Amino acid sequence: MKKIILTAIICLTLFAAPREGDKQVAYTLPMLYNPAKVLSDSNTRGKVVLLNLWASWCSGCQEEMPLFVSLQKRHNKKDFIVVAASIDSVDENAKEFLDRVDPDKDLIALYDVKKSLPKAYRCPGLPSSFLIDKEGKIAAVYIGSLDKEMIKNLEKKIAELERK
Amino acid sequence: MKILFLVLLLLFITGCSEKLVRVMPYEKEFFAQDKMSLSPIAERAEQEGHIFLIREASAGGESSFQGGCGCR
Repeated sequence: MKKIILTAIICLTLFAAPREGDKQVAYTLPMLYNPAKVLSDSNTRGKVVLLNLWASWCSGCQEEMPLFVSLQKRHNKKDFIVVAASIDSVDENAKEFLDRVDPDKDLIALYDVKKSLPKAYRCPGLPSSFLIDKEGKIAAVYIGSLDKEMIKNLEKKIAELERK
Repeated sequence: MKILFLVLLLLFITGCSEKLVRVMPYEKEFFAQDKMSLSPIAERAEQEGHIFLIREASAGGESSFQGGCGCR
């Protein structure tokens, strides 16, 4: 019986979604506007990263994206970046939306057509955002869209992580 | 051998629960399209409701207006 329970626990641990304190999922994804260029998780080491998984068809993503754009505008890109990975099956839809919301291209837009990131993070909702510290560990997980109040709290966390 | 069987069984069950049965939020792109909603053309919804009431002879059946039994 003990063996069965132990085996079940091991299996559940293997399939558990990454949580706060875990290492971020490794990725190498093409840029949305320039598919020849890729960005991987190792390129963002030393910076605080807000990894946002979104889609143009997701209403929650549409609501929070302008807030992320203004968040990025308030922070220096040397210390903090917003990486927005689109999971649209048609990249033009993502581009069309971002052109309207982020005309200055402040966000780092990636294109994850295979949906590898939400699969790896086992996202229970969309949008999902992950605050990642300078060492590449997950500092906070946000499932669902963020509002202005939540962004304020997020900024406090970003400031803490930037100081570390 | 039994443990191997159990591991394989658990792997199989976990695979079924997440990938085969449940549509994950990030897979709902086509469900999110307007044409997938119950009344895809908003302007036509009222007209369709009116026709439904006449056809079913049950005024109030779909709203809070009376009980829906057909007896006014």
